[in-house]
Amino acid sequence: MTRSQLTRTALATLVAGSLLSLSACGLGGAGDTKEAEKTGRVAGEITFRTLQLKPVYTGYVQGVIDSFERKYPDVKVKWEDVPGDGYNEKLVADAQAGALPDVVNLSTDSFQLLGDRGMLADVATLDAAVAKDYVPGAWEQFRLPGKGDGVYAYPWYVTPEILTYNQDLFRQAGLDADKPPTTVEQFFDYAEQIAARSGGRYSAFMADPKGRLPGDWQKMGVPLLNASRDRFTFDTDKAVAWAERMKDLYAKGAMPKESLLKADDINQLYGGGKLVFGPGSPGFVKDIRLNAPQVYAQTRVAGAVTGTLGHIGIYAQSLGIRKDTRHPDAAAEFAKWVTNGPNQVEFSKKATIYPSNAKGLADPYFSDRGDGKDAETLARAIGAGQLATADLDANTPVEWTSQVGDAVAREMQKAVKGDEDPRTAVRKAQEEANRLLAAAVRK
Amino acid sequence: MTLTPARAEARGGARGDGRPPAADRATGADTGLPHRRWWTPYLFLAPGLLMVVLFSLWPFVNTVVLSFTDAQILRGGSFVGFDNYARALADPDFWMATGNSVLYLAVVVPCLVLLPLALAVLVRTEVPGIGFFRSAFYTPVIASAVVVGLIWQWVLRSDGLVNTVFERIGVISGPVPFLTDSTMLLVSAMIVTVWKGLGYYMVFYLAALGNVPEALHEAAALDGAGPVRRFFSITVPQVKPMMLLVGTLSAISALRVFTEIYILGGESGGPGGGSRTLPFLIRQVGLGFSGETGYACALSILLFLLTLVFSLLGRRLSKGDEE
Repeated sequence: MTRSQLTRTALATLVAGSLLSLSACGLGGAGDTKEAEKTGRVAGEITFRTLQLKPVYTGYVQGVIDSFERKYPDVKVKWEDVPGDGYNEKLVADAQAGALPDVVNLSTDSFQLLGDRGMLADVATLDAAVAKDYVPGAWEQFRLPGKGDGVYAYPWYVTPEILTYNQDLFRQAGLDADKPPTTVEQFFDYAEQIAARSGGRYSAFMADPKGRLPGDWQKMGVPLLNASRDRFTFDTDKAVAWAERMKDLYAKGAMPKESLLKADDINQLYGGGKLVFGPGSPGFVKDIRLNAPQVYAQTRVAGAVTGTLGHIGIYAQSLGIRKDTRHPDAAAEFAKWVTNGPNQVEFSKKATIYPSNAKGLADPYFSDRGDGKDAETLARAIGAGQLATADLDANTPVEWTSQVGDAVAREMQKAVKGDEDPRTAVRKAQEEANRLLAAAVRK
Repeated sequence: MTLTPARAEARGGARGDGRPPAADRATGADTGLPHRRWWTPYLFLAPGLLMVVLFSLWPFVNTVVLSFTDAQILRGGSFVGFDNYARALADPDFWMATGNSVLYLAVVVPCLVLLPLALAVLVRTEVPGIGFFRSAFYTPVIASAVVVGLIWQWVLRSDGLVNTVFERIGVISGPVPFLTDSTMLLVSAMIVTVWKGLGYYMVFYLAALGNVPEALHEAAALDGAGPVRRFFSITVPQVKPMMLLVGTLSAISALRVFTEIYILGGESGGPGGGSRTLPFLIRQVGLGFSGETGYACALSILLFLLTLVFSLLGRRLSKGDEE
């Protein structure tokens, strides 16, 4: 072998070795970061990431930042807003690269992932006294199984579940618009009557099992998990009865056929007067007022179907603090500033959201029912009223991850379409959910 | 313009012997430069190579390594040997997704090789207003996936355009489940893929057709060959290399199909996930809180091998044609 050949071989080996050792880096966990400790000095440059708030809420967010910087002149807040599409993927990539922002807006999914992997600061340790500022349940929502008493994010705004329906179609179907359903079973009875009377001109609700579960099962009293929360236990007669009823209603035309696969055109269908029950969020009522005034005039709002639970769950957006932030004092103070009562109330007046802050929710704006006729005003009051009694047992458990939801939805789609026996579908759904749960808790 | 000595040499005119300076360097002749190093070309290649290594090679090697582990998102894994591959081979979802991907390829590739060629031949005809048609056929290529998805949902849903028209004229008695049956959903997605690809590959063929000597057609016409005979005896043999290229490219695209299934069949990939292709399955397995990165990487490698097989097949066909 000549000298140049030797050099070439050595170089190639070096490149291959570097690639292999670099790729082995991908095996390293990302969660063993050191928890930042407070210094008592609120200073430094911090990054703040939000989820799709520009350009509609640019003025509001910038105003909150400016007032914070005026109060704490030694802090500089660098705001970055990221579009909703791919938000979680970008967070994961940043977390892997060690480039998480100091203060970050988290959805339920991203909170679970980053919290479980030990990348978020325990805000209960950073500031234990702040817990009382938030509505009951909102603070506790950010605890994590197996992580002790830690709380891993500050609650931000909440969107309560309500019931919206078209009273004109209700009456056409022979139903009393003043008596909306309160249980899942009653909801299905109403849907059956709607299907029977509509003549195919309109449907009752969207079939998408991913959107309906596990909420429907919780409201029917189906136990989702065992006591130690390490096994799913929803394979029960009640869950099978749910699948059988859905199959029957789907065959009778109570739901649009394509809604079995996706529910993202619900606004369009409801706005077009082809659906009796609209989405269960107050923000939707505003959209209908702007986009379909005629249907808005027929829209009624009521408390959500809560079944045996009797109350709704709490779904709060949150602000997490990067565990190893260089400026924990500034980051914690800023997160508290953004989520304080006045700032949340101001935000809620601009967007159709609700404060998770107890003082904020007590603002008269949220209890005003107007003349009792305007759907949007009523939706706000009913939503706020429901939040007062909301509790975490109605929330989707953290063990019910997006992948568990997908796996269950796939089996339920087969059952609803009649491609699989409902009992078999529920059993197979539970098996797959348990397999995913076992994989997720592996440490 | 005054030439500097360096420029003059670069033009091969400094010595006036007409010998290009490259020849000097190749033979190590007296150029005043140090002796040629073997690594000099690599130095020029380095910036490009660095990009390839960073953004293609390293992620690929990383995928291979991770496929032998039980890694999860943001959580390190340990080596598990061939467990992920064994699991894939025993996983009914893997075989279902592979079957769907291969079926997709088997239907879409012939359509995308033949239909754009026919279209290219048609739009080459010089008639008034043909520019409009060329543009119209190309429009789907630049349309966004979301818009395309919405349009096709309106066309194919139970109360959509196709079902309504067919029901009105009495061709069908009930709506065809284009979007709610796994197989029909797959067929619908194939239609969208072909519709989107027609204009794209038509441009390839227009370029190839431009290189077919007109004299061949004229000679054949003089010999009495009609348009059909000329198409099969002159046009097709002349554009055959392009057909092979289009076949290979569309085969690779067909094996990577994801968007069409997602926009028509939702997150679950059709009812019960029955229309999922391999890329769809990889995404479903790999993302999310309980995402299994190791297994998803193993599935990616298997998809890579499948793509490699079809690419080599295309290459072999291409070589056979040259011989």
